[in-house]
Amino acid sequence: MKKLELKIDNKNWGTSYGQLVWQQLTKNRTNLVCLWFIIVLFTTAVFAPLIANDKPFVVRMASTGSPQVEGKVYFPLFGALTANDYSVFLAAIVGAILLFSLRRNSRKVDPFLRPAVLWRQISICTVILFLGIILLQIFIPRKLDATDYRAMLAGGKATDAVFPLVPYGYGRTDIKVCQRPPNRNHWLGTDDVGSDVLCRLIHGTRISLSVGFVAVGISGIVGIIFGAIMGYFGGKIDFLGMRLVEIMMSVPTFFLIITIVAFFPRSLFNIMVIIGITSWTDDARFIRAEFLKLRNQDFVQAAVSLGLPLRSILFRHMLPNGMAPVLVSVTFGVAGAIFIESALSFLGFGVAPPTPSWGQMLSTGVSTTGEFLWWLSFFPGLAIFFTVTAYNLLGEGLRDAIDPKLRKAV
Amino acid sequence: MTDNGTILSIQNLSTFFDTEQGTAKAVQNVSFDIKKGQTLALVGESGCGKSVTALSIMRLIPSPPGRIASGKIFFKSRDILEFSERQMRRIRGNKIAMIFQEPMTSLNPVYTIGSQIVEAISLHQKKSYQQAWQMAQEMLERVHIPDPDRRMVEYPHLLSGGMRQRVMIAMAISCRPSLLIADEPTTALDVTIQAQILDLLDELQKSENMSVLLITHDLGIVAQRADNVAVMYASKIVEQCPCGELFNNPLHPYTKGLLNSLPQLGTRQNRLNTIAGNVPEPLDFPSGCKFHPRCPVGCNDKKCHTEEPALKQVSANHYAACWYAEK
Repeated sequence: MKKLELKIDNKNWGTSYGQLVWQQLTKNRTNLVCLWFIIVLFTTAVFAPLIANDKPFVVRMASTGSPQVEGKVYFPLFGALTANDYSVFLAAIVGAILLFSLRRNSRKVDPFLRPAVLWRQISICTVILFLGIILLQIFIPRKLDATDYRAMLAGGKATDAVFPLVPYGYGRTDIKVCQRPPNRNHWLGTDDVGSDVLCRLIHGTRISLSVGFVAVGISGIVGIIFGAIMGYFGGKIDFLGMRLVEIMMSVPTFFLIITIVAFFPRSLFNIMVIIGITSWTDDARFIRAEFLKLRNQDFVQAAVSLGLPLRSILFRHMLPNGMAPVLVSVTFGVAGAIFIESALSFLGFGVAPPTPSWGQMLSTGVSTTGEFLWWLSFFPGLAIFFTVTAYNLLGEGLRDAIDPKLRKAV
Repeated sequence: MTDNGTILSIQNLSTFFDTEQGTAKAVQNVSFDIKKGQTLALVGESGCGKSVTALSIMRLIPSPPGRIASGKIFFKSRDILEFSERQMRRIRGNKIAMIFQEPMTSLNPVYTIGSQIVEAISLHQKKSYQQAWQMAQEMLERVHIPDPDRRMVEYPHLLSGGMRQRVMIAMAISCRPSLLIADEPTTALDVTIQAQILDLLDELQKSENMSVLLITHDLGIVAQRADNVAVMYASKIVEQCPCGELFNNPLHPYTKGLLNSLPQLGTRQNRLNTIAGNVPEPLDFPSGCKFHPRCPVGCNDKKCHTEEPALKQVSANHYAACWYAEK
């Protein structure tokens, strides 16, 4: 492609393969429910600080205070959000725009150009995102707002305040209300330092989802590239690659992760990367098997005989035809990664304590007083269960949506 | 060696496959020339090395296990066996195009017809997307696909075999190659479609002044379409001559046998004539002349059992590899 033109008119370009799969997928009610559940999860994760926060959106100072703040209106929540929070919002907005442009592309851009146009849009979005994040990190001040606005309201220093849905911060400790079962103030109860469980659950969504996605993203990309090269070239490369895969597979992954995590500082990023680079073997084997099969298909031979470059043959012509098993394994992988992170946190190798994660919350239910506080384990357990189930069901649905179409088309 | 009119000249091409059972000599010492605008038909039974010869020209032999053991392939006086993969990519599809045997599986099922042709066009020619799309549509029109506007956005599985083969041809000729390799282009199609496809190839060949290497096992097609014929048997060319000469005066017993086994119109026959026996396996060729176990002429001749005849000029344009050919 020497020159790229974004062609926009109302010409009918036909339905693309992706659209066919999408139609098939959304026909099934279970899949729709799962999709919506995941969308809700994502929204929760992105807007967690707006849903659960101990800072009010708006606060009006009472006249009893010092005269310079009298009657003034403040927005403490937006001031208290960190640059990271704003970066997440920005990323979510850019991602949403990308999704919408995908829809628009599917209607207005011809199928052949779609990957190229999409690629360009992704690059533009990435640049915007990077610049935005850098700017946000520079210009958003890092400040700590330790004011207790509820105490202010109670003490009459402020007249009105609008709090988020769950008016507690995830790091808040309050010994007075610790270990309370679910009640009117704390819908899902409090843990042994008095933090609100619902609030921690909402903030924990972020951790669990990002672990799932980044880990699977890494393992998917590594697996696809390795598998594609092994399957296409065969021979010695295949032999060496498969031995490497077998070596990786023979290592008990979970214990390897525990060992590595024990050596490196406890950070979310490390966990994601480690889960990613230990779980690519399945993807690589799936892709390899598909590519071995596709290698001798006539249309691949035809593509070679047209003089297409290797990259185009591997990733444009072969990959969409051999993608089905990997897509399914990716959705299972997301569930698996959430599970591994939960297990790590449960064992105490996960994210460091004030940051909430579902697995870590599970573990607090039994450890402290010997007493079993059911609400501390039940709700995070439920969240893990539903998320993993949703991903697994979606994986099943995707497999069903892709398979018969492909068989019919070949 | 090559004069101006020659597009492709193959000299002593040998292609071997190294298998665990030994080296399979799929093609041995094959030589032929194709002149500009002419059609050479490569005829032979299944497994005699026709397709391997074609893939060797495209340098598409899977390696390993395959390798081009010796020989030279001159395309426009340049030896393409010495080309780098990069140079080769510029030739494939652009100067030499190929049509495959199986139209049902030769198109990528996940892309529309149009986008696949457009890809072929925009790969080798500097065209804007609109121009390429326009060209692709014209190409579909030229291969007589009705309603090309609609067909452009359809997926391969919506098209019949004949249609798909037309699309393959449209793709192959979209860059106006000087040589078209048609590897049994009509085997998978029924007879009426066969005729249409071959007429189409003929028509395109005339208008583009393209050379065609037609690989087939159908002598009927050869008689109608080819200028020259090379008959292959067990990895070697056993007879080579102009088309008319082959049918009027076949020299090699294998060619005679092939022509004999064609059903004749107007004569009553109970059973079709056949050549007894099977094509020998590439791993296990007989000694001497490879055809001698099946040959009605030389089956008792000591010389045929021990010495292999070379391809020799018998008359002006007629070459044959048989000890009995001259007699």
